[in-house]
Amino acid sequence: MGSLLREMTDEYQEYLRDESHTVGWAEQIAFPRTEEEVRQVLRQAWERDLPVTLQGGRTGISAGCVPHGGVVVSLARMTRAEGCRALGDGRFSFLVQPGVVLSEFGKWVESKRFDTRGWDGESLAAYGGFCRSGEFFFTPDPTERSACIGGMAACNASGARSYLYGPTRPHILSLRAVLMDGRTVALRRGERFAHGLTFELPCEDGSVLKGTLPTYTMPPTKNTSGYYCAPDMDLMDLFIGSDGTLAALTQLEVALVPSPAFQWCVNAYFMEEDQAMTFVKAVRDDGEKAAAIEYFDGDALDILRRQRAENPAFSALPPVPDGAAAAVCVELHDDDRSHIQARLFRLGEQLTAAGGREEDTQVARTAADVATLKFFRHAVPESVNMLIAQRKKQDPVITKLGTDMAVPDDRLDQVVALYRRGLRESGLESAVWGHVGNNHLHVNILPRNGEDYRRGKALYADWARAVTDMGGAVSSEHAVGKAKADFLEIMYGPEHIAEMRALKKVFDPKGLLGQDNLFAKEGD
Amino acid sequence: MRIVACIKQVPSTNEVRLDPEKHTILRDGRQSVVNPFDAHAVEEAVRLKETCGGTVLAISMGIPAVEELLRDALARGADEAVLLSDRAFAGADTLATSYTLAAGIRRAGPFDLILCGKMAVDGDTAQIGPELAEQLGIPHLTEVDAILSVGEGRVTVSRQGQQGPETVEAALPALLTLTREVNTPRMPTLTGVRRSLTAPFVCWGADDLKADRGRCGLEGSPTQVVRTFVPQRERETVFLSGSPERQAEQMVKIAGEVLA
Amino acid sequence: MSGLVIEKEKCVGCGACVSACPSAALSMEEGLAVVDGAACVLCGVCVDTCPTGAISVEKEEAAGLDPSDWRDVWVFAQWEGEGFHPVTLELLSRGRALADSLEERLCAAAVGCTEADCAPLLDQGADAVYLCPALPAEYRAEPFCAAVLSQLIRAHRPGIVLFGATPFGRSLAPRLAARLGTGLTADCTQLDIDGESRCLRQTRPAFGGNLMATIVCPAHRPQMATVRPGVFPILTAGRRTGAEIVTVEPPVLPPPLTRELAADQAVQAAAGLRGAQVIVSVGRGIGVRKNVKLVERLAELLGAQVGCSRPLVEAGWLSYDHQIGQTGVSVAPKLLITFGISGAIQHLAGIAGAERIIAVNSDPSAPIFAQAHEAVVGDCVEILEEMIKILEKKPN
Repeated sequence: MGSLLREMTDEYQEYLRDESHTVGWAEQIAFPRTEEEVRQVLRQAWERDLPVTLQGGRTGISAGCVPHGGVVVSLARMTRAEGCRALGDGRFSFLVQPGVVLSEFGKWVESKRFDTRGWDGESLAAYGGFCRSGEFFFTPDPTERSACIGGMAACNASGARSYLYGPTRPHILSLRAVLMDGRTVALRRGERFAHGLTFELPCEDGSVLKGTLPTYTMPPTKNTSGYYCAPDMDLMDLFIGSDGTLAALTQLEVALVPSPAFQWCVNAYFMEEDQAMTFVKAVRDDGEKAAAIEYFDGDALDILRRQRAENPAFSALPPVPDGAAAAVCVELHDDDRSHIQARLFRLGEQLTAAGGREEDTQVARTAADVATLKFFRHAVPESVNMLIAQRKKQDPVITKLGTDMAVPDDRLDQVVALYRRGLRESGLESAVWGHVGNNHLHVNILPRNGEDYRRGKALYADWARAVTDMGGAVSSEHAVGKAKADFLEIMYGPEHIAEMRALKKVFDPKGLLGQDNLFAKEGD
Repeated sequence: MRIVACIKQVPSTNEVRLDPEKHTILRDGRQSVVNPFDAHAVEEAVRLKETCGGTVLAISMGIPAVEELLRDALARGADEAVLLSDRAFAGADTLATSYTLAAGIRRAGPFDLILCGKMAVDGDTAQIGPELAEQLGIPHLTEVDAILSVGEGRVTVSRQGQQGPETVEAALPALLTLTREVNTPRMPTLTGVRRSLTAPFVCWGADDLKADRGRCGLEGSPTQVVRTFVPQRERETVFLSGSPERQAEQMVKIAGEVLA
Repeated sequence: MSGLVIEKEKCVGCGACVSACPSAALSMEEGLAVVDGAACVLCGVCVDTCPTGAISVEKEEAAGLDPSDWRDVWVFAQWEGEGFHPVTLELLSRGRALADSLEERLCAAAVGCTEADCAPLLDQGADAVYLCPALPAEYRAEPFCAAVLSQLIRAHRPGIVLFGATPFGRSLAPRLAARLGTGLTADCTQLDIDGESRCLRQTRPAFGGNLMATIVCPAHRPQMATVRPGVFPILTAGRRTGAEIVTVEPPVLPPPLTRELAADQAVQAAAGLRGAQVIVSVGRGIGVRKNVKLVERLAELLGAQVGCSRPLVEAGWLSYDHQIGQTGVSVAPKLLITFGISGAIQHLAGIAGAERIIAVNSDPSAPIFAQAHEAVVGDCVEILEEMIKILEKKPN
C-alpha cells in the first residue's frame, strides 16, 4: 500500500490558505476518503514527528486550517452521508463524513435525496421514514455556505439563527474521532461525562485517556473562545469547538429540526443607531423569541447602496431607504399563520415606537423574498471582502480586521458605546454588522493603509480587554484559530492557557496537531 | 389605465420526490408559491400604474388557498384581486384554463393591458398567454424583455423574436408575456401587508362567470394525461482512454458534436 | 359527472396515494382510500402511484366530433427568409413515420416563400405542401401565419399538426389551438401512435424534466404538438411519387393589431464568461504560467472564452474577470473544458449550469470528475498540445 502523502507542489498552493487570507507553509498534503485512511495518515505523521493541520472547506477567517509546516490533511474529500437515524420523537439525524459541505447537505435534506449506497438496514429504514415525513432543516447557518460540517463542528460555528437554535454544538449527537497516534474514539451525547473537572475517556482499543479540565468559567454568551469546559460536562463537547487541536473528526451525527411552516423575515430601517438598539431590545423583550435579530450600521448600508448602484451582481438587492442609518433584520419562525401575522404586526408597533416607519419596512414571506433578504445580509461581508482584496493589492499587509466578540444582554449599550468611541477617536473607516440579538456585533475595520491596519489591531486588542471586563467572549463564532490566539490569552490569562495546553497533551502528547491554534506551540 | 396581472400557483420546487422503498411519488410538504415569472408580471403592472396611473387587478384560477398568493400580490401594490375557484374548474388543461381566465377577466373588465409570466415553472408550456389572448380576441406578444412605452392606444415593447431582439408595438388592449429580464420584483412593505388584508378581493365560481361548464376544467380540456413517470437519469462519467493524441481527438470530436 | 374514481374492490389500502397526493385530497377511511372532491385538482399523480390500478380519472367526452373525418399529418414549415428552420426537417422525419403507421399522408404548410423554396420539404418526404406565397408587408409573420393555418386546417382537417418549439412556434401554436378549440402539447420529446385508438401519444417533460407525462387528445382535432429543435434526427428520405405543391390564396384580414418597428441591434454576447457558449477553463494543475498561453490558443481555435479557478487569479496569472465560481462568475455554457482544475466546491458552484463538461486532470480522484460528463486522466499540457495540433490542421 502506497503512502497517501503527496508532495506539496504548486498545484496545492490553495491549501496553504483560508478566508483569513493568511498564507502558511507545508511540505506534504493528503486527501483521505475514509476513517481508515485518516488513521494511516495521522499515524504516519506521528511516527515521523510531523506536525499536522486539519482542513475542511477552508472557509474560516481565523486561520485555524492554515498550516505552519508539516502535513496538511484535507478532509474535504470525505463527502459521504453514511447513514440515517430515527430519533424516536419524529425527528431524524444523519451520519456524515466531515467533508460534507453545508450547502450540499442542505440540498440533500431539502430535496430528500441522499446517496444511500452502502447504508445498513437500520439507516435505510430510518431514511424511508424521513422521506415520508414532513420538512426538516439543519439549523446552523454560517454566512459561508460552502463550509464543511466537520469544520463547523471543529469551530462550533453559528449563524444568524443561532439566536433561537443555538450554535452547531447541540445539533451534534454523536461523533467519531481519530487521535494523532491513530487511536479512535466514539462518543454519543449523554453517555460519557467528566467527574467534576477530571475525566476518563476510553478509546476503542481499550486504552483510556485520563486528564483534568481547565478551571476557567466560560462567559454566559455565545462563545468559541478556547476549549469548552465545565464541571461534569459531556465529554463529547471537548471535541466540538476544539479548533482541530485534539483529534480529527471522522464522522458526525447531525440532528435535524422540523421546518417551521412559516419563515418570515423583516427588514426595519432607522435614521439613528440608538433607535435600532431600542427596537432590538423591544424585540428581545417580546414574550416570543425571534429566530434571528441582525444588525447593519449606516456604513454597512452605504456599502450596499454603492454596490447596488455600481455592481450588476448586486442589482437584485432590495433598495435601502434614503437617509436610513441603521437596519435591523428580524427572522420569525412559526407553524401558525395567524400567530406569526400577529407577531409581525407587533413588530410593526415596536419599530414604530422606536422611531422606524412601516412603509420603509420590507417583509419577506415567500422563499424568494427570504432569499433576497439573505442576499442582503450576505452582501455586506461579501462587499467588504471585495473592498479589502482591492486594498490588499496596494499594500499586502492589509487584511480585514473583524471582531467577533459577544457580551451579556445588559451590556449591549455599553459595548456599542465602546465601539463607537474607539472608531470615532481613531478616525478609522469601518462597517458594523452582526448578531445583535446575542450582543454579538462584527466591527469591521477597513484599513486604507498599513498604518490604519496597525492602529486597528491595537484598537481591537483594547476592545478584547474591555469585553473581557464586561464578562464577554473574545471569540463567539469564528473560533480562535491562529488569528485570535493573543486575545484568548487576554481573556483567560497565562494560567488558564497552561491548563488548556495540559488538556491538549492528553490527546496529543507530542503536540503535533493544529500547531499554533488557540495558543502558540511550546517553545515559541 | 386598467392592468391585469395573471398569476398561477406552483409547487415551491421542481424536485419530484420518490419513496426510497416503494418507489412511488411522495407529497412535497412545502408551501406553494407564485410562479416566479408571474411575480415579474405583478411587479411590471404595479410599475406601470406608478408611472402611467390606473389600477392593477391580480387574477388567478385555482383552489381556495390561492387567496393567500393573491393577497401577497395586493401587498406588493395590486389594488384588487379575483380568484376563480370552483370544482368545475379542476383538471383544466391550457385551453380550459384560458377559457376560464378569459371569462373572469371579461367579468372584471374592461382592461387595457394583460400581463402574464412567459411560462409556469411546473408545466413549462408557455401556452396560457397566447391562448388567453385568442379567447379574449386581442393581440399578444410573447417573451417581452422590456415595455418601452404605453399610451395612446398602444404599447411598445422589446421582445425576443425568432431572429433575436425586436421592437414591436401592439394596439391596446393587448396581452404580453414577460421574461425575467423585465424587472426585479419588489418586496412587500409592512404597510402593504396590512393593506392586503382589507383590499378588495372576490372569489367567483362557474355560475358567477356564466361560464359554459363544458368548456371548463376536466370536461373542457381536450388533452388528457394518460401516464406520468419519473425519467431514469443515472449519469456516469465517461473516462476517455488512450494516448494523449487519441484522448485529444475524442475531445475535439465531442466539442464538434456539442457545438454543431 | 367527471372526476376522480376509486374502485373499492381494487383498493388494498396501502396508502401510497395518500402520501403522493400533492393536494392532500386523499385519506384513508376504514382501510380504503377516499377522495375529497373539493380539494382534488385532478392532477392524476395518484393514478400512476396506485399499485393496483384502482384509481382513475373519469371524464365524459363531448360527443360530436368524428376523429375519422380528420386525416393526415401536417408539419408547419417555418420559413426564415433564406431557408426553413432546421426543426422543420426534423418534424417531417418524425411525421413521415407517424403518417406511415396511420397510412395517411404527410403534408407541410408554408407561408411567405416560393414554390422553388419548397423543394427541401418534398425531398424530406412530404406528400403535399400547402403554400401561401404571400406575406403582406403590413402584417407580422406570426398573426398572418395563424390566419393562414386556421383557414387551411378548417378546410383540410388534418388529424395531427406539428410545430417547432421555436420562439415563433411557441407563440403561434397556442394561439391557433385556442382558435380551433383543440388541445396542444408543448415541447414533446416523443411522439407515437397508439395502435388501438390511433391517437397521437405525446410525451413531454414537466417539472423541469423531473417528471415525464404522456398526453393524448382523444376527442378533439387536430391533435397539436410542439417539439424542441434537435429532439428528432433528420432521416434520409426521398421524394414521394405524386408529391405536389398546392398554392393557396391569402386570407382576407382586418388591419393588423401588431407591428414590428425595428429589429434591435443584436445585443453583444454578454461580455466575457457569463454568456459564453464555450469555455476553456484552467486551474493550478496547469503547472507553470507559460502554459496559460496554450489554453488561450485552444480557446481561440474553439471560439471559446477563457475561465479559471481562484488560485490562478490569486497568483496573478489571469485577471479577476476570468474567475469562475462562488466568488467569481457563474457560467452556463454549452461546453466547458477544464484543464488542471481539481474542483473545489466553491468552483463547482459556479459551473453547475454547464450543459457538457469535459475535465482533464492528472489526479483520477479529483472531485471535478464527479461533475464531468467526460473525464480525461492525463497531463494537461500534452492534451492541450494535441488538441491544438488537431484543430490547427482543420480547415476554418
